[in-house]
Amino acid sequence: MADVSLHGIAKSYGSAEILRDINLSIDDGEFVVFVGPSGCGKSTLLRTIAGLENVSAGELRIGGKRVNEMPPAERKIAMVFQSYALYPHMSVYKNMAFGLKFAKTDKSEVDRRVRRAADILKLSALLDRKPRELSGGQRQRVAIGRAIVREPSVFLFDEPLSNLDAALRVNTRLEIAKLHRELGATMIYVTHDQVEAMTLASKIVVMNHGRIEQVGAPLDLYRNPRNLFVAGFIGSPRMNFIKGQVRSVAGHSATIGFAGAEAVLEVAPGRVKAGDEVTVGIRPEHMAQDGPQTIPLEGRIDAIERLGEASYVYMKLAGGEDVIVRSPGDADAAPGSGYIAHVPSRSVHIFDAQGQSMQASTRMP
Amino acid sequence: MRPLARPGRIAVHIALILYTILAVGPIALILINAFKTRRAIFSDPLGFPDARTFTTIGFDQVFAKSDFGLYFVNSLTVTVISLGLIILIGAMAAWALTEYRFRGNTIIALYMAIGIMVPIRLGSVSILRMMVDLNLVNTLTALILVYVAQGLPLAILILGEFIQQIPKDLRDAARCDGVSEYRIFGSIILPLITPAIATVAVFTMVPIWNDLWFPLILAPGDGKQTVTLGVQQFIGQYVTDWNAVLASLTLAIAPILVLYLFFSRYLVRGLTAGAVK
Amino acid sequence: MSDITALGVQPAERVFARSRFPLHIAVFLAPALVIYTVFSIYPLVDTIRLSFYSGDETGARHFSGLSNFYTLLTDPAWSGHFWNALKNNLIFFSIHMVVQNGIGLGLAMLLSLPRLTGGSVYRTLLFLPTMLSVVIIGFIWQLMLNPLWGIAEKILDAVGLGSFFGPWLGQESTALITVSLISVWQFVGIPMMLIYAALLNIPDDLLDAATVDGAGPFSVFWFVRLPLILPTLGVVSILTFVANFNAFDLIYAVKGALAGPNFSTDILGTFFYRTFFGYQLQVGSPTMGATVATAMLIIILIGVLIYLFGVQRRLQRHTF
Repeated sequence: MADVSLHGIAKSYGSAEILRDINLSIDDGEFVVFVGPSGCGKSTLLRTIAGLENVSAGELRIGGKRVNEMPPAERKIAMVFQSYALYPHMSVYKNMAFGLKFAKTDKSEVDRRVRRAADILKLSALLDRKPRELSGGQRQRVAIGRAIVREPSVFLFDEPLSNLDAALRVNTRLEIAKLHRELGATMIYVTHDQVEAMTLASKIVVMNHGRIEQVGAPLDLYRNPRNLFVAGFIGSPRMNFIKGQVRSVAGHSATIGFAGAEAVLEVAPGRVKAGDEVTVGIRPEHMAQDGPQTIPLEGRIDAIERLGEASYVYMKLAGGEDVIVRSPGDADAAPGSGYIAHVPSRSVHIFDAQGQSMQASTRMP
Repeated sequence: MRPLARPGRIAVHIALILYTILAVGPIALILINAFKTRRAIFSDPLGFPDARTFTTIGFDQVFAKSDFGLYFVNSLTVTVISLGLIILIGAMAAWALTEYRFRGNTIIALYMAIGIMVPIRLGSVSILRMMVDLNLVNTLTALILVYVAQGLPLAILILGEFIQQIPKDLRDAARCDGVSEYRIFGSIILPLITPAIATVAVFTMVPIWNDLWFPLILAPGDGKQTVTLGVQQFIGQYVTDWNAVLASLTLAIAPILVLYLFFSRYLVRGLTAGAVK
Repeated sequence: MSDITALGVQPAERVFARSRFPLHIAVFLAPALVIYTVFSIYPLVDTIRLSFYSGDETGARHFSGLSNFYTLLTDPAWSGHFWNALKNNLIFFSIHMVVQNGIGLGLAMLLSLPRLTGGSVYRTLLFLPTMLSVVIIGFIWQLMLNPLWGIAEKILDAVGLGSFFGPWLGQESTALITVSLISVWQFVGIPMMLIYAALLNIPDDLLDAATVDGAGPFSVFWFVRLPLILPTLGVVSILTFVANFNAFDLIYAVKGALAGPNFSTDILGTFFYRTFFGYQLQVGSPTMGATVATAMLIIILIGVLIYLFGVQRRLQRHTF
């Protein structure tokens, strides 16, 4: 078992900067998920930890030891690839045993480890099959098995679920979470799917343009996104963004006008002054809540999607912005008619012109 | 860059450059010496021609003593017509074999495949007899017929695989519009297979242009020689005239060289993409 | 225009839809089938048929069963040449298998290295000789190796191997090897390209996985890449086999139909040519020519069958 720490990691190909000044520490036994849009550098970051890519600058430590110059096989890591990368000419057994051959593990030990991994992953009956004779889910499990037999300190997963169909994806997601509980090893997991990130991670690292945007526990990121990017990336459907303006400031609270309404909201002191342009963010699920201290937002309904347990109301606000409201499944609404969204003021996020959050970071929804 | 790659890279380039010199050197040597005087060819074979040693006397002799222009036209005629026919006829057959399920489909496909492995050359005795009977000896028509027969099997295989990748919806949409099968082939399939033509060309055009055997057997006579045969006969006759030999070789190499350097990208892509699937 | 065509064709189609074989399929297939059958399959079959006949001075032919083959394999006037050509052809083939395909594999390995600068330039130049006519290549090397010009000797001198030089093409002991190596030099591009394509087909993930598993560059090659390109090596081998046992142009261009010195470069292709067309005082014989061609056909078929049933079945093609 081992912790992983990255200090000022940077990587560039020629003039293209893939990773810039990445600082991150991962504790022993943590399940860390790198999430971000494609091309954000999350896979490259994983590959540098694996040793498949060199870093241009910075220091990488695994279990307290500097590993920058160490070949992948000596880093005590194991990796599960997006394409599974099973050797097509070897049986399931040989696929799993292949890495141990180079570690000079003795035969009975290899056999013990392979059979144990097969047992955990319910692959025992398939050990003599070739990869092409397996289903997608089975291949995926073999790829995980190949990682388990190495008994690594750190597991690296590169979008391991993206080639599975939706039902299998949920299933395997649960199995990976269970595996993490049983093995207690450090796991680093890359995905572009924020649902996977939210459900699996003990710590999420949101990346964009080769940089870390925010690090935190899943609910922390959901409640207190540090900037517009994280706010928009975490949560589904996406957070609604509405243009607004600061009317007046008084200590911890500011009066902000948006979408034809005006509301007094809590802000970090000294961050704003009257006249500032801001972006107001409200999650769709926070826009249909009756109760005290709600801000009414008026508009007209463009369309409704009824999902059963909820209805998504697509409405145009008085100010012209399009927003989505997650309303109860039996909501009484029809396209073309007027609609009033009720937003609790404590659920409103405010971002400055640079997209940074203007609120203190410990708030409840 | 991967770890360990750096120092090894230089060795890799040295190996590749050395082999490239071995591969291209002899050809380059022929080209540069073709423009030198006989004395310079022998005294300084590795040097480039300069004002003192430059001459085109070899070329003058080739043009004076042989019909090189005619050979070139013959080769061009045979190659272009053969290739055109192979592609048209091959595409028609490939289309029929991949698009329609009918009785005998597999057998016909296998029958066509024989020609990929069995060289048609081995039938030369009968081909010559047949051409004599048809009065086609010493005509370019004889060569074209044989080359088309020779090129069809591989062309059908390559084009068939290519046609299979054309989305079926495209044809079905046309059928729903009431378009005839002939027009579907002519105005949908033919335009779409143009990328495959480069691949077919590598495998059929080059062997046709370069062939010695069939010109030697079927059209060795006056005025019907191809470049390959013409050069072979010319060199056989003037073997001691170094200027003329080098010039004739250069004339044979040049057109291919120019074409290749222009189209190598497509040829190499065709080879690596469609080759062994 | 389109309306007229559509109208013109539809009724015809409707008529033929009821018959056994749709007209348009026949129309698409006929040209290829006719040309291929008449100018490729028929001559091959007719050649085999002809090999069972003998001709006499008057030009009349009569059926003679296997006597031509008997003559070819046992008559001292024929069998010596035949076995010599077959033996030389086997040497010719072996040199190609080892040297041509070995170098092709090596070059393909180098070219497939990730992020190799100038890769496409190397590929283009290395493939260049393959594009040229065998005849031209033959003459080029004849000049290169000509002691009169002495350019090969000069270059060998420069690297300290000058004393090693000899009139390689003219000596009985070295002519066949030299001719084989010239052919290898020309055609190295084909195995190189095919193997290169196969290597590119192996996903990078697989090689990364092997690296993470602790395999070094040699192990990655031996345990992962080589097993995965075996089917391509099989294809390369059979292509080499068919091309080699059908070769003619190079020997004819460099050494003439007599494949000298003293038939030391004679292979089946040149032997076939001489038998068919005659040489010096020997008169050509179509029937014996057909017999030699049939023998070559049998040899090639045996090779192809061994490949199809012995080799190809065992080599699983991998889809990634």
